[in-house]
Amino acid sequence: MQPSSELGGSALKARTFDSMGTVVSLTVPAGALPRTAGGAELDELDEAAAAVERVFAGFDETFSLYRPDSEASRLARGELSLRKASAGMRDRYADALSWRLMTEGAFSPERPDGVLDLSGIIKGYAIRQAGEVLRGRGITDWCLNAGGDVLVMGSPVPGTGAAWAAGVVDPQDRAALLSAYELGGTGPRQALATSGSAERGDHIWTAGAGGTEFTQVSVAAADIVTADVLATAIVAGGTAMLHRATDGWEIDVLAVRRDGELLATPGFRA
Amino acid sequence: MRIRAAVSATLASVGILLVGWQSGSHVSPTAGSSIGTSAGTAGSTGKSAATGGASGNSSGASSSGAASGTGTTGTAGSTATTSSGAATGSGSGTYAGSVSQTRYGNVQVQITVSGGKITDVTALQLTDEDRRSVAISSEAAPLLRDEVLQAQSANVQTISGATVTSDGYLSSLQAALDAAKL
Repeated sequence: MQPSSELGGSALKARTFDSMGTVVSLTVPAGALPRTAGGAELDELDEAAAAVERVFAGFDETFSLYRPDSEASRLARGELSLRKASAGMRDRYADALSWRLMTEGAFSPERPDGVLDLSGIIKGYAIRQAGEVLRGRGITDWCLNAGGDVLVMGSPVPGTGAAWAAGVVDPQDRAALLSAYELGGTGPRQALATSGSAERGDHIWTAGAGGTEFTQVSVAAADIVTADVLATAIVAGGTAMLHRATDGWEIDVLAVRRDGELLATPGFRA
Repeated sequence: MRIRAAVSATLASVGILLVGWQSGSHVSPTAGSSIGTSAGTAGSTGKSAATGGASGNSSGASSSGAASGTGTTGTAGSTATTSSGAATGSGSGTYAGSVSQTRYGNVQVQITVSGGKITDVTALQLTDEDRRSVAISSEAAPLLRDEVLQAQSANVQTISGATVTSDGYLSSLQAALDAAKL
């Protein structure tokens, strides 16, 4: 774990905004931003954060079931059929179906009542695209956190190869950290997503009456959509899905059972 | 599943071999290589080897002669059954099998032998059909809380957790981190 003292207390700058019912945080190392023409560095941070916010707003406008006028809401009410839905909607639906196949049903884009709900993958896509926007602006060291799902690029100390240290919340005491994981730097994983069985959005549906086996599952992967979907799938699918996931994907997993017992791949081991 | 099957098939073949190796431990200078060669052969027979080998492995630790009789894979047994020496041979060391090409990919295992018993088995090489190397230890295993990477919020730059609402954010660790960087 990179000691934070080396990073300096004021070495990182952050901007936050509300979207998708949660808060998105963009963090960059001070001094790592390209300066705008005649502008200050922090102006560029504000502009970068605004660009990221536009990405999230765009996804939310189309896919939010909390907005009555969204395309997703019109689909849910039956006013629109998938056949006539936008290409973006159909693409994400196809992706979600493909994830349902790959996870043998543990991840599903449909709620038990039959309503199409793509919120389980949309946040991941928004984070991924926001990352592309940042990269496109020439920013190569950043950390993007959308409601606890994290994607990073580069390092908190540009040029050093040091990893970003991501803490994982303890589900039994949300003011404490259960563990940490190193993202980015010279390592193979840039994304870390955590799903809980009691989280908002209700996109985890299990058939069992006894509730889910895991209260919280964190998945680290090279890609944020993969991390997010598999974390959700493992919460829904339990130990069987956990083993399928570690067999089939290059990921690290930290899963917390209802009784507090931990299951972890070596990447989370001290 | 594929990978696990491949590994267990190969481990099983090592089990068969160890039985033979134990009884034939007097010829220890060549023991390592005989293990290697036969591992390749046995491994390629796939699942059938796995079943036979499993029993050979368990009985192999206890005695010699009878167990090697169960070495149904001919080549493996033949090199070893020449001697009926006691299983408690002084054999110790680390032996690497050769790379076995199975239908699951390439597999190579290493065994550590101490006092005539296998004390450790590790996979040195395992690739899937796309020739990517695969970490077979990627399986999630039970851990104690102090066995995971520990961290204080002061030592991390971001926090991963189940999604909080915009309201819940205000009292979250992430909010505290963000506030310090504004």
